Amino acid sequence: MENLKRLFDNNRKIVEEVTSADPDFFKRRAGKQEPHFLFIGCADSRVPIETLTGVSPGEMFVHRNIANQVVSADLNLLSVLQYAIEVLDVKHVIVCGHYQCGGVKAAMGTESYGLVDYWLAGVRDTVRRHASELEASPGEDERFKRVVDLNVLRQVYNLARTPVVQNAWKRGRRPLLHGLVYDIHDGFLKSIALEVDGPDKVRELFEARRRSIGD
Amino acid sequence: MSWIDGVVRRLTQAPRPAERDVVAAVRRLPEMAASWRNDLPASIVVFLVALPLCLGIALASGAPLFAGVIAGVVGGVLVGSLSGSHLMVSGPAAGLTAIVVAAIASLGSFQAFLAAVVIGGAVQLVLAVMRAGVLGYYFPSSVIKGMLAAIGLILVLKQIPHAVGYDVDFEGDETFLQANAENTFTAVLHALQRLEPGAVLISLVGLALLFVWDKTPLKNVRLLPAQLTVVLLGVALDIACAAAQPAWKLDASHLVTLPIPAQLADYADYFAFPDWSALSRGDTWRVGVTLGVVASLESLLSLEATDRLDPYKREAPANRELFAQGAGNIVSGLIGGLPVTGVIVRSAANVDAGARTKLSAILHGLLLAAAVVSIPALLNHIPLASLAAILIFTGFKLAHPKIWSSMWRQGSSQFLPFALTIVAILLTDLLVGIGIGLALGLLFILFEHSRQPCYEIVSPKGAVLTRVRLNEQVSFLSKATLAKLFERLEPGSRIELDGSQCRHVHHDVLELISDFRETALLRKIDLRLVGLDLPGATHH
Repeated sequence: MENLKRLFDNNRKIVEEVTSADPDFFKRRAGKQEPHFLFIGCADSRVPIETLTGVSPGEMFVHRNIANQVVSADLNLLSVLQYAIEVLDVKHVIVCGHYQCGGVKAAMGTESYGLVDYWLAGVRDTVRRHASELEASPGEDERFKRVVDLNVLRQVYNLARTPVVQNAWKRGRRPLLHGLVYDIHDGFLKSIALEVDGPDKVRELFEARRRSIGD
Repeated sequence: MSWIDGVVRRLTQAPRPAERDVVAAVRRLPEMAASWRNDLPASIVVFLVALPLCLGIALASGAPLFAGVIAGVVGGVLVGSLSGSHLMVSGPAAGLTAIVVAAIASLGSFQAFLAAVVIGGAVQLVLAVMRAGVLGYYFPSSVIKGMLAAIGLILVLKQIPHAVGYDVDFEGDETFLQANAENTFTAVLHALQRLEPGAVLISLVGLALLFVWDKTPLKNVRLLPAQLTVVLLGVALDIACAAAQPAWKLDASHLVTLPIPAQLADYADYFAFPDWSALSRGDTWRVGVTLGVVASLESLLSLEATDRLDPYKREAPANRELFAQGAGNIVSGLIGGLPVTGVIVRSAANVDAGARTKLSAILHGLLLAAAVVSIPALLNHIPLASLAAILIFTGFKLAHPKIWSSMWRQGSSQFLPFALTIVAILLTDLLVGIGIGLALGLLFILFEHSRQPCYEIVSPKGAVLTRVRLNEQVSFLSKATLAKLFERLEPGSRIELDGSQCRHVHHDVLELISDFRETALLRKIDLRLVGLDLPGATHH
């Protein structure tokens, strides 16, 4: 209970701080939300994206799941995606992975963790698909990082293939897709893919990557 | 036995087209024969109704009486044969009397006027070639129904004086202000003060008979329709009065009055021929074109109206009708007849008398020709009161309360044009009234159309992006609706206008959108256009 109490205490303290500086802060945000960003990230507790990017409430629509997956049959993600694009009209959709991701780690090994094993099938596919590149990598850490990067790229690709995004692109609306990785060691965001605005762009990114590592 | 196979094969194979036509015609023979039994009696009724109308309209037109009969014969036989309508009767029209009177006066002679009638017929042929008949499809149904009901009311009101023996106005008048300084209503009031007992008796008996006829076994006697019985009974009653109650005997002014020449050869004098020298005057052409256009309109209206009365709901081709009417007017003009049009009263009487095919209209023309020559003295015994009873009955059916209540149930967009058409026709005349009715009817249609949504907002309420999908057709009439939508948008709002489903967007609407694209920038509205091919900015 001590931990929970801390949440309430902190909450009270923050509300007081904020309202003393700006009495209408919360009232203003009770109305319509018009966020510019949809953030699809990992459920990991070490990735406090709002704090890291300094966005205030109302600016970012957030969806998080283990290993920031975009699965075409995931009703939860699809609802979020459609609502964000068609109703909230967000301009940017960000898929963000992070190093030291437990989900990715699990997918690289053979250990069983229960239900999440099914969820991570996509990451396992990515590992297998890029086996030659990964085997060529210098060390275990480097290999892990590469899978995280590849996973983000793969999810941007999945995102680009969803009917919601395809439809929006066809109608000239442009949610730009971005793939980012949060480096948990130094706190910086690193870009994997920026301003993807069409299905060809993702394919190009995969090609470019393959060429750069001589695959 | 291969030859037998050949015969069998030929017999069982589908006949060639020409053979098929013959086969179809032969198959229809029993049907045609059956319709004889309906059409012959109906034609007699129409003939009896038409006779005083032809004479009355000729009288009112200031033309020789026989000109009306000629037009009746041509309208029945020639137009009847050429027309595609099964039940419409053509002949001299009350709606044209005003034009005819003025035209005869301005052209100086009836012969010069006949030349104009021929021109009118030629104009109708041209209209037929130009496929102007499609106009007929644009008469709003509510207005046509209003016209029928108005004609029904006019028939009842105008015939009441004839029914009680107040035969001052000419038969077939449809104008509110009569030539004798009375109007429809004062004429009825005057008439009710001057009852002619013989006429009242005849018309009341006639009306009673007509209203109960269908409830008695008499209705099964197809060869003797109620209307014919009423006429025969009227003649009989008048003769009986002459014997029993001489004061009630109707004098000639209350009976059909056909001119009776001394000898058969005198009929030749009744024919008049066009004065072709009139063609050199612009006036003749002006009258001709006016006649052609007005007669075409009246015929198309009558055609549309008769289609509605047809119990078999048959649709007649409009352009063929224009052709038939044009031919009719050319011939009528060439032999000294009045201009012809399709006429609703006679058509309605035709329907009421149980006609099934155009045979009835054709026969009525032949009967007119034959009877006027062979038995004029006999026809002059027919009391106008009997015919008034028939026309009042027809009028009652045309303006039946059931029609009013059914129009009322269809809502104000149907009822208002219907009722306003009736009022307009009652207070002016058929052509002016229907003109007003058509204008109002079209206004109602425009109003209804402009209220039709031309777009659908597909985004949920409160969405940041308002997504507007334009309908398949965005007509000129949608402009106001769309402009209102644009006006309502608040600064800073985002809107997507999706025209990808559109098949047709009116140019002016595209311009409106194009202009909005400019103002949207100033109003800080985020406008996104999808699938719209906009013309360039208009003010550069």
